Amino acid sequence: MDCKNIEQHIVDYLDGQLSVEESKHITKHIASCDSCKTIYDETKALFSAFENVEEEMPSDNLRTGFYKLLEEEKQLLDDKIVQLSQQKKEFPWKQAFQIAASIIFMFGGYFLGSHNSKRTSNQEISALQQETIELREDMMLAMIENQSPSKRIQAVNFTESFVKPDIKILEALIGRMQYDGNMNVRLAAAEALSEFPKSTIVKDAFIEALTTQKDPSLQIAIIQFLVKIQEKRAIAPMQQLLEESDTPDFVKDQVNSGISQII
Amino acid sequence: MLDVSQGNLDAMAHIFERYNKRLYNFYFQMIRDKAICEDMTQTVFYKVMRYRTSYKGGQFVSWIFKIARNVFSDHYQKSKKTSNTEDLEIVANKNADNKVDINDDIAHLHNALNKLSKDDRELIVLNRFQDIKYDKIAEIVGSTEGAVKVKVHRIIKKLKNAYLETI
Repeated sequence: MDCKNIEQHIVDYLDGQLSVEESKHITKHIASCDSCKTIYDETKALFSAFENVEEEMPSDNLRTGFYKLLEEEKQLLDDKIVQLSQQKKEFPWKQAFQIAASIIFMFGGYFLGSHNSKRTSNQEISALQQETIELREDMMLAMIENQSPSKRIQAVNFTESFVKPDIKILEALIGRMQYDGNMNVRLAAAEALSEFPKSTIVKDAFIEALTTQKDPSLQIAIIQFLVKIQEKRAIAPMQQLLEESDTPDFVKDQVNSGISQII
Repeated sequence: MLDVSQGNLDAMAHIFERYNKRLYNFYFQMIRDKAICEDMTQTVFYKVMRYRTSYKGGQFVSWIFKIARNVFSDHYQKSKKTSNTEDLEIVANKNADNKVDINDDIAHLHNALNKLSKDDRELIVLNRFQDIKYDKIAEIVGSTEGAVKVKVHRIIKKLKNAYLETI
């Protein structure tokens, strides 16, 4: 090992960081080499100067200052903890109640509002429907007296939209069926009336019409209706139709099959 | 310290008792001004408390000296801006040194230390006065053990020459 290498290791040698073997080697070298001995002595002197540096004592200000700081920090931490725990205790009840109340109000308001509006709107709608029905009835009654047969048929057809027609309407329709000058109007009236098989005045009107009406197509419509509603009282006028000489054959056929069905 | 980082501030007192002298002396060997050194030591403990949650285990010495270094360089940067006053400080310190140090050797050592750059002086102080091993110094200054060792040896040589010159 040359002197340069030795010089590099002198610090570690003094620090006691070298292995036993390396230490021995350097001890040996220093003993024989003057320049390295000088470096060693100088470094050792420096290190002893390091050793002689006394530890300075900080004044009491540092300690008192620190403990003051620590207390402040603790206070801060405690405050945080206290605040948090207080919040935890108070928070759920009050807020939960508020939230619950607001939800109840919201739903309550919603239901009340929807209920009211539904009722009023239902009332309005039914009033409107009532009005249109009345309007249609009036219109129908007005039109049914019209001179034009097509208008009268239109009026008759209006009745299809009436679920439960007024007795005036039924009477007007029956009048059309019995006495209208136009055969088509009479037929349309008969068809319209056949929509209301439960009404007794309609049934009576049909039985009466069976004797009075001479038009074959109307007769057939009347027979079909009476057969459909199984009207027993119709049998007598139908048999009368069979006996009449001016009744067409196909009407008689219809009457025959009708009678067998009623019985 | 892990206790402290988990919120046990009482453990902070132990840390103070163990390190306040070391940190104070670290600063005193860097700049020989008692008031500034006390201030900086105080600041270190304040920062340790403040940033206690950022300590994630590992060498506590390295961690606290890292903070100490930062505090010192903050001070250094500030005093650099007012360089005139710093010159005055140094002169005043020198005069104070001469009065305080009875031992001539120590006076010479301080003169030699004054000739070192701030970073060199820091390494010597950490290694020779604070007895911090090379590997921990490497952790503190963000370097490798080998590099720190080489640097310290070189600075010792420099310091030795300066020290011998003044004798």
